[in-house]
Amino acid sequence: MVSYTILHKAYVKIFLHAAKHPHKPVNGVLLGRLSSGVVTIQDVIPLLHHWTSLSPMMEIGLTLAKGHAESVDLSLVGYYQACERIDDTALAPVGERVVEQLRTQFSDVIAFVIDGDALGSGEVALIPYLPQASSTSWRPQTLNPPAFAPGSRIMLADPQTPSRAVALVRDDHLHHEFGDFDDHLEDVTIDWLRNNACNITDP
Amino acid sequence: MSLQSALGQLATYRSQNTRASQDIFEKGSLVLQKNGLKKMGDNSWAFLEQLTLAAIDVGRLDVADQCLQSLTDKFPGSPRVDCIRGIRVEATEPPEVALKYYGELLEADSANAAIWKRRISILRRTGKIDKAVTELSQYLDTFYTDVEGWLELADMYATCGQYDYSLQALMHVLLLAPQNPFHVLQAAETAYTAGDLPLSVKMFLTVVDMTDGDDSDSLAESAPRGITVRAWYGVKLCARRIARDARLATISPSSTPPPKHNNTLDELATERLRVAYSSSGQKGEIAKGREEVFTWVAAP
Repeated sequence: MVSYTILHKAYVKIFLHAAKHPHKPVNGVLLGRLSSGVVTIQDVIPLLHHWTSLSPMMEIGLTLAKGHAESVDLSLVGYYQACERIDDTALAPVGERVVEQLRTQFSDVIAFVIDGDALGSGEVALIPYLPQASSTSWRPQTLNPPAFAPGSRIMLADPQTPSRAVALVRDDHLHHEFGDFDDHLEDVTIDWLRNNACNITDP
Repeated sequence: MSLQSALGQLATYRSQNTRASQDIFEKGSLVLQKNGLKKMGDNSWAFLEQLTLAAIDVGRLDVADQCLQSLTDKFPGSPRVDCIRGIRVEATEPPEVALKYYGELLEADSANAAIWKRRISILRRTGKIDKAVTELSQYLDTFYTDVEGWLELADMYATCGQYDYSLQALMHVLLLAPQNPFHVLQAAETAYTAGDLPLSVKMFLTVVDMTDGDDSDSLAESAPRGITVRAWYGVKLCARRIARDARLATISPSSTPPPKHNNTLDELATERLRVAYSSSGQKGEIAKGREEVFTWVAAP
């Protein structure tokens, strides 16, 4: 059974994406690599915030993201999503379809839904979803020990990451520098694949 | 930032209905601080409404309550102020309390459109999506010309995967507001998702037609910008899928005829995207992700 580690840069980008569009659903894909039983989630590519239930730009964005991931020797290892409402933490039907599609190319794929209530608190604001053994439906994963607790299968590389992410938004307004594929489609000079201005590696 | 430029930006947000709550709150606080309210004349009330909503959004309920008090004093019994008060109730009270508040207002005046829409939005966010769809349909029977209402209905259907119904709602939007390319774009993407590629490609091309500069300039010299790029992506995607599987051109619930010169469309979209990613943007910066896009358009 594989375990998962989220690097600082990846968590910060998910956080910035959600913070930039507080009243909209957003989604994107996770980039990483599987090595000796650990999937390391190194980076993310943000996709949409306009019409997250419609497929054409999602299809194109996924293809371009895959091409980019391969060019830097990484794979698409997962998907993340924030809901429109703060109390909604369900993986949307579109999300299930995307992760199922990713699973055909990477069998240990994982999905995260952003926990709106925890977002500003400095706690880890991610709820992991894994496929159920008996069916194709995806459920929030109850682990023992729970996700992000010491010894869990799902960990942050650095426990300081969530509180640092809050500070990057509150104090530095870094979310204004962040752009996704929807932004890029309005202005092709926005670097949605790399988001170099937001590549913060050290907590 | 000067008071003058803050006022200008706030007025732009109001006219475009932009929900930039943090920025509105910051600039709005500056206006209050610098005693700008008097300079605005009659606009000051619309500004207070704007600031109330932004303050609720960013969680500064103390500021929201102050603004709301000024509005209530000036316009006692105003339906518009009643609606803002409802939003304030929604911010801190359980949904049942807000529903009861709206219910009482609707009993007094059933033609209060804003209140009716607030009630529908609560139904949606509390998960009663069936009831929200039914009520919104009833609402649109009465207020047919409400574009926002049709867009909301289209979005509700799309989140439930009912893309045919979503597209029908958008067709009403296009009848009511035919000049807005964003609505056509949304319809094009919904048609694609619903599996109607002929209609989708036709609508993507309509977006190009509506947004691509003026046609007196030679096409080759101007690079596509803004949502025109998005539309060309859509054309490319549809044309490629039809090229790979010709049967897709004949599947159209809307009975749209297949595109006549699919291969030419495919080539044109490729060329337009190459141009969009080869020329520098308005600020002289170059397009990002060019290699990935070139690989994508060149794939068979």
